[in-house]
Amino acid sequence: MKRTLTLLFTLLAFASLIAAADIKLDVKEHVLPNGMKILMIQKPGVPRVVCHIYFKVGSINERPGITGLAHVHEHMMFKGTQMMGVTDPAKDAAIDKKIDELMDKIYREKYWKAAGGDKAKLAQWQKEYDELVKSEKQYIIKDDLWNLYMKNGGTALNASTGNENTGYYVTLPSNKVELQMLLESDRMLNAYFREFYSEKDVIMEERRLSENRPGFFFSEQVNAAFYAASPYHWEVIGWMDDLRKLTKPDLNEFHTKYYVPNNCVAIYVGDFDPANIIALAEKYFGRVPKGPDIEPIRTYEPPQYGEKRMYGEGPAPTSLQIMFHTPQEGQPDAAPLSILADVLGSGGGGFGPRGGGGMGGTGRLYKILVQEKQMAVNASAFGRPQWYVGAFQISAMPRIDKNVQPEDLEKEIWAEIEKIKKEGVTPDEIQKAKNRNEAMFIRSLGITMGLAGRAGRAELNRGWKAILTDLDDLKKVTNDDIKRVAAKYFVKDNSLTAIYKRKMGR
Amino acid sequence: MKKLMTLALAIGSIFLAIGLGQVQKPSDLKFPTLKYEPPDPKAFRMQFANGLRGYVQEDRSLPLFSISALINFGGLYVPKDKQGLAETMSGTLIKGGTKTKEGSVIEERIDFLGGILSFNVGERTATLSLSVLSKDLDEALGIFFDVLMNAEFREDALKLSKSRLIEQLRQVNDNPSTILSREYEKLLYGDHPLTWQPAKKTYESITATDLKAVHGQYFFPKNIILAAAGDFNKAELKTKIDKIVAIWKNKDLKSPSFSRQFPQLEAGVYFIQKAINQGYISLGHLGIEDTNPDYFAVQVMNFILGGGSFSSRITMKVRSNEGLSYNQGSRFAFRWGFPGTFSGYVQTKSSTVGYAISLILNEFERIRKEPVSDAEMETAINYYLESFADTFQSPQATMSNFANLEMTGKPMDYFKTYRDKIKAVTKTRVQEVATKYIHPDKAAIMIVGDFEPCNKGGDKWPGPLDKLGKVHKINLIDPLTGEEIK
Repeated sequence: MKRTLTLLFTLLAFASLIAAADIKLDVKEHVLPNGMKILMIQKPGVPRVVCHIYFKVGSINERPGITGLAHVHEHMMFKGTQMMGVTDPAKDAAIDKKIDELMDKIYREKYWKAAGGDKAKLAQWQKEYDELVKSEKQYIIKDDLWNLYMKNGGTALNASTGNENTGYYVTLPSNKVELQMLLESDRMLNAYFREFYSEKDVIMEERRLSENRPGFFFSEQVNAAFYAASPYHWEVIGWMDDLRKLTKPDLNEFHTKYYVPNNCVAIYVGDFDPANIIALAEKYFGRVPKGPDIEPIRTYEPPQYGEKRMYGEGPAPTSLQIMFHTPQEGQPDAAPLSILADVLGSGGGGFGPRGGGGMGGTGRLYKILVQEKQMAVNASAFGRPQWYVGAFQISAMPRIDKNVQPEDLEKEIWAEIEKIKKEGVTPDEIQKAKNRNEAMFIRSLGITMGLAGRAGRAELNRGWKAILTDLDDLKKVTNDDIKRVAAKYFVKDNSLTAIYKRKMGR
Repeated sequence: MKKLMTLALAIGSIFLAIGLGQVQKPSDLKFPTLKYEPPDPKAFRMQFANGLRGYVQEDRSLPLFSISALINFGGLYVPKDKQGLAETMSGTLIKGGTKTKEGSVIEERIDFLGGILSFNVGERTATLSLSVLSKDLDEALGIFFDVLMNAEFREDALKLSKSRLIEQLRQVNDNPSTILSREYEKLLYGDHPLTWQPAKKTYESITATDLKAVHGQYFFPKNIILAAAGDFNKAELKTKIDKIVAIWKNKDLKSPSFSRQFPQLEAGVYFIQKAINQGYISLGHLGIEDTNPDYFAVQVMNFILGGGSFSSRITMKVRSNEGLSYNQGSRFAFRWGFPGTFSGYVQTKSSTVGYAISLILNEFERIRKEPVSDAEMETAINYYLESFADTFQSPQATMSNFANLEMTGKPMDYFKTYRDKIKAVTKTRVQEVATKYIHPDKAAIMIVGDFEPCNKGGDKWPGPLDKLGKVHKINLIDPLTGEEIK
């Protein structure tokens, strides 16, 4: 789930109490002179504070040749700074510089020359590289930042990269938030990327883990076919070729451009005094200089003007997927599409990909395909609005024991879609979807980490208040809206149908 | 908005950062003191009618109501020829309806209210959970107990659930990590109720009569502990629940007994062929029970060995130093009433499978032979002490934790004494428990991967794999036919 921007430049901290239903979400905001936003949600009680930072950068900010870089960079943010992870920064830097120069030579020989370059030369340089790495080890303090957080009771310690944003997470005892401010501002200011080349090996192993998930290769190709033009075309993990070839200069350039205070938000949820948080933020994050404005991505998805179909087979369950392009989040059609996803897919049978939420099995597709006709093992629908391009996805797994084919399910699903275009759905179905969304929203307020993620990410795109206005928009959806969006988006020329059949390998 | 916080806590005086000098490095930071006392289970314990027990906390911060019933029944209690009964029951307790309501009517109503009602049967406990807006408490509470007390397992829902579960069996040998965890346990525990698996044949044999018999045998007030939290008045909730359960009859529980004899494990390599580009590896043997007095020392020891992510030795050696893997470490898994498993684990490209295993085995040896460092002890112990309050972030989860303690017969002062027991762990104790519970010479090394490239190895560790011990090849079972997959 991801979201875009709007920075409010106000130096005063102020509280915004916004009511959705009768529920109040009290988010205190503060903007530093360098443009960095601080959000605070107080939850007195257990003395812990969820501390997250979200940067408005993800895989969509990459381009061919550097796919996977946002995620590689996120890994490298744990590899030290001028202060952390090193005993003697000057001596370390001298060796690190030699490593980079050597790796540049290897890179040019290996990837720029025909047939992979001169093998003997490469072997010699590889030996030199191994020795340099060995000699650098004496100056490196392994995983220094991670250890320090752990020693201070840091939990849920992690980072993650998405298509649109990157988050850095830790939950600390409420008396130790200052540690997070020091370490996070330090890695914005003074990041120093040691052990870059071995970390790329780690990330290639991470990609292999994905590759070994049944059906991954096909779904990666389906995604690439669905998004032809926009940078949602590649997965966050990136193509293996690019992971091999990413360079240190690529990394440094990326860091300088995107890891600036005016491109991020820090959010705190838990037991704290906001005045204290603001004072600490001024002191630590305040020292990071503002960077140039960052242009949003340029390429959205152009209209498809033709149906796309993909067929694949391999070691995963036989399945059907139908995808449609939809508008990005915040657009007027986003709300009715969201209600429709809920009507079609709520429940989804409890297992299978992207159930659509809940074990209820009360969605229309489940009722028709799983329960009444007994043609599918599961059936679900899912709306993904995203920041710049949206997608609506219907998935189902046929009953092999009854010899049902994915194409049979496809016919049934289209029949249902055509019916919705004409008749819409029932008032009960719409009301149920609205109730479910409201209850889910209230539940989300009680889950501190989830709330931090939702508000923090929303802030980067349309502001945190979008969480509430989106909920209000859902409440206004009518059956006419449903009919209209079904007719507009659920057409063959706007779709990709992916059919996958199980075939066992060795 | 009312706020009822029963947690005793005192935060040291809040300081203002303004005026403090710029800190240059983390060691310059001075943190105010923080004292935290965990909630006391006694303050939340409630006794309902007919011997039904519960842990209940009012939490008025949001207009929500959550309740769960922890039932002393699990998949372990299911006979070999009825494997899959636990899964079928998970799928039909709600969908199969009650004496008075169709399952679809129940699901539709809960969904309409924006609620969540779910049921899951675990190894030795089953849980029915409900979450709704507090305005719907009365109606939803009625549905919750109707399902719990009067499940009917109607034929149409049962038939559908069974066919879907049988279809799902096609996937059991798809995912390498699923295969590894299942087969590793089968190897360690042998032919035992802990490792029996459902198959098409056993699913087909399950009838509504079987489900009703199990429901009748285990679902009664004295065999259940509730956990509830949310926006309600405790006394009023008790009155409501008492009224509902007043007619619910208790039974005599005949607790089944289980063998605690497990096969003598032959050390060596156990290989499962799958055409993938990495080896998925677990290496180890049986571990301990969490009631063992050494439990706390084992926690600290394993944190240092491979449980403390980047602060642990295996991650540092295998990932940070060598770049061999993304996910690696060691774990002691625990289960109620039986020793759990101990395993080192890693997933790495085929050519470095042998090398990664050798590095993990070295760490197994090292923690047995050498004392750990003061710095490692400090990080491990502080982690447990300083992160302790995290356990109590959610009132509903806290009530469930208390219900679990009572159900499994653990001391109710477990949380109260937790930090003292962690603090008492010394370097000597860490080495003692490492020597006592980690046996690299007796370890089974299980690999799911592509045999040829794994066996060949690479520059730093050329194969063959039998350098690590005798190689046994394991064939998987196709649960649809019951035959071995060759």
